[in-house]
Amino acid sequence: MTGLKFSIGVDVGGTFTDLVAIDGAGRIVIAKSPSTPKDQSLGVMAGLEELADKVGLPLNDLLSRTERLVHGSTVATNALLERKGAKVALLTTEGHRDILEMREGLKSDRYNLRMPPPQPLVPRRLRLPIRERLRPDGSVLQPIDMGSLDKAIAQMRDENVEAVTICYLHSYRNPQHEHDTARRLQEEFPDIYLSLSSEVLPQIREFERVSTAIVNSYVGPPVRRYLTNLERRIAEAGFSGRLFVIQSHGGMTPIGEAARLAAGTVLSGPAGGMAGAKRISELLDAPQLVTFDMGGTSTDISLITGGKAIFSTQRGLGDQRIALRSLDIASIGAGGGSIAHVDQAGGLQTGPRSAGAFPGPACYGVGGTDATVTDANLVLGYLNKDAVLSGHRKLDLEAAQQAVDIIAGQLGLSREQAAYGIYRIVNTKMADGIRLMTTQRGVDPRSFALLSFGGAAGLHALAIARGLEITRVVVPAVASVMSAWGMLATDLRYEASHTHIGDTHDLDDDSLRRVFADLESQVNDRLQSWRLEEATFERYAEMRYGEQIFEIEVELEGLDWDAPGLIAAVTERFHQRHEELYTYASRDQEVVLVNARIAAVGAVKAIAVERVDVDANEAGRPSGNRPAFLDGAWRSVPVYSMETLNPGNTITGPALFEAATTTVLIGVGDVASVDAFGWLEITVRSAAKSPN
Amino acid sequence: MTSSAHFDPITRSVVQHRLSGLVAEMGEAMLRTSYSQILNASRDFSLAIVDTKCRLIAQADHIPVHVGAIPWAVHAVEARFKDVSPGDVILLNDPYHGGSHLPDLTAFVPVFDGDRRLFWTVVRAHQSDIGGATHGAYNPSATEIWQEGLRIPPIRLSEKGHIREDILDMLALNTRNGRDFRGDLAAMIGAGHLGEKRLVNFFAEIGADTVLGAIEALLDASEQRTRENIASWRDGVFHGEAFLDDDGRGHQDIRIAAKVTKSGSDIEIDLSDSDPQVTSFANSSHANMHAAVVMAISYLIDPDIPKNDGVFRPIAVKAKQGTIVWADPGAPVTLCTSHPANEIVEAIVKALGGACPDRAMGGWGRRFRIAIQGGDPRTGKKFIWHMFHARPGGGASSAGDGWSSIGEWHVVGGIKFGSVEEAEVRFPLHFRRHELLPNSGGEGKYRGGLGVALDLVVETAAVAYGNTAGDGVRHGPCGMNGGENGQPHAYTLMSSGKAPRPLKTKEIGIEIAGGSVLEVRSSGGGGWGPAIERSADAHEHDLREGYVRGIS
Repeated sequence: MTGLKFSIGVDVGGTFTDLVAIDGAGRIVIAKSPSTPKDQSLGVMAGLEELADKVGLPLNDLLSRTERLVHGSTVATNALLERKGAKVALLTTEGHRDILEMREGLKSDRYNLRMPPPQPLVPRRLRLPIRERLRPDGSVLQPIDMGSLDKAIAQMRDENVEAVTICYLHSYRNPQHEHDTARRLQEEFPDIYLSLSSEVLPQIREFERVSTAIVNSYVGPPVRRYLTNLERRIAEAGFSGRLFVIQSHGGMTPIGEAARLAAGTVLSGPAGGMAGAKRISELLDAPQLVTFDMGGTSTDISLITGGKAIFSTQRGLGDQRIALRSLDIASIGAGGGSIAHVDQAGGLQTGPRSAGAFPGPACYGVGGTDATVTDANLVLGYLNKDAVLSGHRKLDLEAAQQAVDIIAGQLGLSREQAAYGIYRIVNTKMADGIRLMTTQRGVDPRSFALLSFGGAAGLHALAIARGLEITRVVVPAVASVMSAWGMLATDLRYEASHTHIGDTHDLDDDSLRRVFADLESQVNDRLQSWRLEEATFERYAEMRYGEQIFEIEVELEGLDWDAPGLIAAVTERFHQRHEELYTYASRDQEVVLVNARIAAVGAVKAIAVERVDVDANEAGRPSGNRPAFLDGAWRSVPVYSMETLNPGNTITGPALFEAATTTVLIGVGDVASVDAFGWLEITVRSAAKSPN
Repeated sequence: MTSSAHFDPITRSVVQHRLSGLVAEMGEAMLRTSYSQILNASRDFSLAIVDTKCRLIAQADHIPVHVGAIPWAVHAVEARFKDVSPGDVILLNDPYHGGSHLPDLTAFVPVFDGDRRLFWTVVRAHQSDIGGATHGAYNPSATEIWQEGLRIPPIRLSEKGHIREDILDMLALNTRNGRDFRGDLAAMIGAGHLGEKRLVNFFAEIGADTVLGAIEALLDASEQRTRENIASWRDGVFHGEAFLDDDGRGHQDIRIAAKVTKSGSDIEIDLSDSDPQVTSFANSSHANMHAAVVMAISYLIDPDIPKNDGVFRPIAVKAKQGTIVWADPGAPVTLCTSHPANEIVEAIVKALGGACPDRAMGGWGRRFRIAIQGGDPRTGKKFIWHMFHARPGGGASSAGDGWSSIGEWHVVGGIKFGSVEEAEVRFPLHFRRHELLPNSGGEGKYRGGLGVALDLVVETAAVAYGNTAGDGVRHGPCGMNGGENGQPHAYTLMSSGKAPRPLKTKEIGIEIAGGSVLEVRSSGGGGWGPAIERSADAHEHDLREGYVRGIS
């Protein structure tokens, strides 16, 4: 293997750390190692050892041949969800310290009037008022009162804060007061983690800006600590390549930037899966994909449309609003570990409680006694009872049966009926999630193929597709480590935006050109510091009609920026996009350009994928049969080992396909064929006569 | 058909998820396609599926005060039209023909399985204007309903797929912004048709009879859970009362009285003893009274019980026509979805505090609107600004302190206030202060949520004018189980060279000189349990964080 160069993708999940090494020919080596939540870098190092072992090189050798290590980190995600972030102070305009706690007056769970309000990330005593005030045009109404700043500094010192957010009203128009305040704080606290709202999210709307900048300060110190540790450990182990982190927007950045804009890493993990999905979309020439990533506790759903991932700025995590542009990924709190129960009215439900990794499903035999989706799958024969879990244990069928029997007893059903009920309910939830994900965005799921990945997806994908009238399902060979694999398909990306509040009637072409030229030079400066030679730019405008409140994103690719009538052309693009999305345009209404946005993209070399010639002469043969409960009856179902199948093989369901870390079930009449990559492409039997 | 108790529980759950997903999808379509800010920003609309027996089958969690009223609107539609065809669309708003108040326009789309008419998809949306004497339909000076806006009994706007353009022209002509009215109505009808389409597909998928069977099981299940909840409360006859500040015509302390008889799993709510109707818009319509009763019970039962006809079954309502809760035909009623709806809820919750003290919560805020119109000196353009800022606090409960800055009983966190920065960009307004108001929440073992202090500088060059519509400057949200009342609202206009002018809740044409400051102090929520039982930690926390100011 001398002379080989590697890229490595590392995805740290809740239970497992997935690693993928890929060489120049596209050959893939996979490793999975237990995650180490206290210091994730330990699990990463252990995983790298295992990976080196599988590649057949000493770790030092592997790392010294590795050009690029791309990392999906859940440090920010966990800090936020578990409320284990930094102690943060907020310096804000006097008279407006409670924006965060007032939450725009909104509360979810409408009929629950007996729930305590969420605790803000920054307690009220650390929301420190500074006497200063800007006008909406950016002019100064009240200069910073140094006395109020001194008082805030004294309080920060008393309270030993680790991080601080500065957010003043209208700072998106004029950041001077935030800069002056930051300079003063750096003199007083040289090591403090500092977030300026005008840098984190330079946009109008104070709730989103302050919330995002506070999340940044909250997760910033742990992210910075972790990345510094990791960088040191891999350097000591021989790595001299470049280390990148995936951000929520699906691009990767050097670790310095990831530590600075830490709030941008909260979706780092699933973002890798989306990059992989985009690559698969190219390889299979399948521009419309629903991505279905079903794990143990949650399921992530997103879309590839026209070969591209979709984005949103209307996101949050764990009660916190994070208005950074991010991949539009919907998370459903259900997965293989979801616990089934009978509600007070005698209805069968699955979730929202999950057995997680501990105590886990009953069949894992590590203490769980509640019936989970995984237990139902084992009882139904979908999972192999002789399969070996990581840690060299076998699944415990009897424990799963006992757990399901409790549910069956409560419902007066047989064991199989109860298990099959659990299976159907979780499928319905997933299908609802996909239906909402697609229809909310105005697209019809039936025109999409379902891309199934994540450890638990393969047993449910076909049933869900059938319910949605989706006719094609794809299961890639890398399904169980898709995020780590996808990280290697991720481009470098840096984004900048500018709030330019303006009615398009009042803007002229030159001022719009200037806004984008400024953004471009800002982004260029950053890219040079990253040693990136070639970048392409993506430009966007976020626009709405005067009376609307939801902006829509308008792509500005292919515009002639030098031609006269630029504003008119941009406005027309907006009308067209509005019509596409909502069936109408109002060309006589005024149009407002709220944000101008630019992204610089440094494309990496596309990951190669090994292709095998199709040899249809070699028929696929099952490695055996096992009984499985399908459509109301036990049947003997052939089981295929993925390793023994060849491209060109075609198998009509029912059938089970087993790979090292995942199982796929196809139903009666579904037809699976193995493509040139060794992946399953499945044609779904119509749902016309869905059994009930 | 099998009896509902033996209906396959799996199919039942599938149908439950599908119907609720379908109504949520209708809501998304409505949000994104409507024109008016009250719909796309404040989300003042609700969606439902009701069957031809006028039973609520499914709804999405939008505006609670709409939900219990919608079946009454379907009653009016069913009574008027016996010959409904596919492609018909029915419209109504009149509170004396099944509606709640005139701004809440409601569209109904029939859903068929072959020849069988089975359901209505229902879209109710608060219009930004519905004609009448004042912009925006809140007219404190109205003495009869004709001064409040255009009355629409059940009418067939679309016949077998053909919109009656002549009728539509007449409706649009009678509102101040016909273009927005048409856009919003198109969105409503579109959402109704979307629901219809999804239901018909669902019938094709699993069979209409299976859906119908599952629905019976779902309604029965909601009834069963509601009855189990109620049965666990103490039996007895309980009394509760709440007061409107005034009717804006000099009558103060208008009483809403609830006599609640709780026996086993049944509840009878008798509002007959409430005060006679008033001459202003603070009266309730019949449907709105029922909606308020359903809201109160919905807040007391387990929150996850699906809100459908089954929840209503254990509840019997008694009331007398001619009273504040059920006005005689012709009386003005526009304020009713907030007042007296809020007071009806409060009287019932107070009464049932005796039966289920751990479930009854402290009072939530009341609504006190102000709309300012004037000229923007920066642009020379006229503007009208509706205040949604300075939301009142929510009531405390056995689960803990109340939510601050969250809204009223009839909204409970469903309406969003806009960005201060955006308001300053778009209007000649300067928000000098907009933050929580310490000490506003009612004290208690658990403290009521805080209201908000807003100091708003009106930076017009010339005089601007304000209209108010609301209640709650004399009566704060009630405390529960020994908790204290929240502070009431206090709005004061400060103009240079003039004495401070407290604002009343039902005024029109308030003169606001340029540079005046509107000092809004919105109410806090009611406390729960005796203040003496508040833990030392909680008390210390309040002082340390500044939710409560000490004496020093």
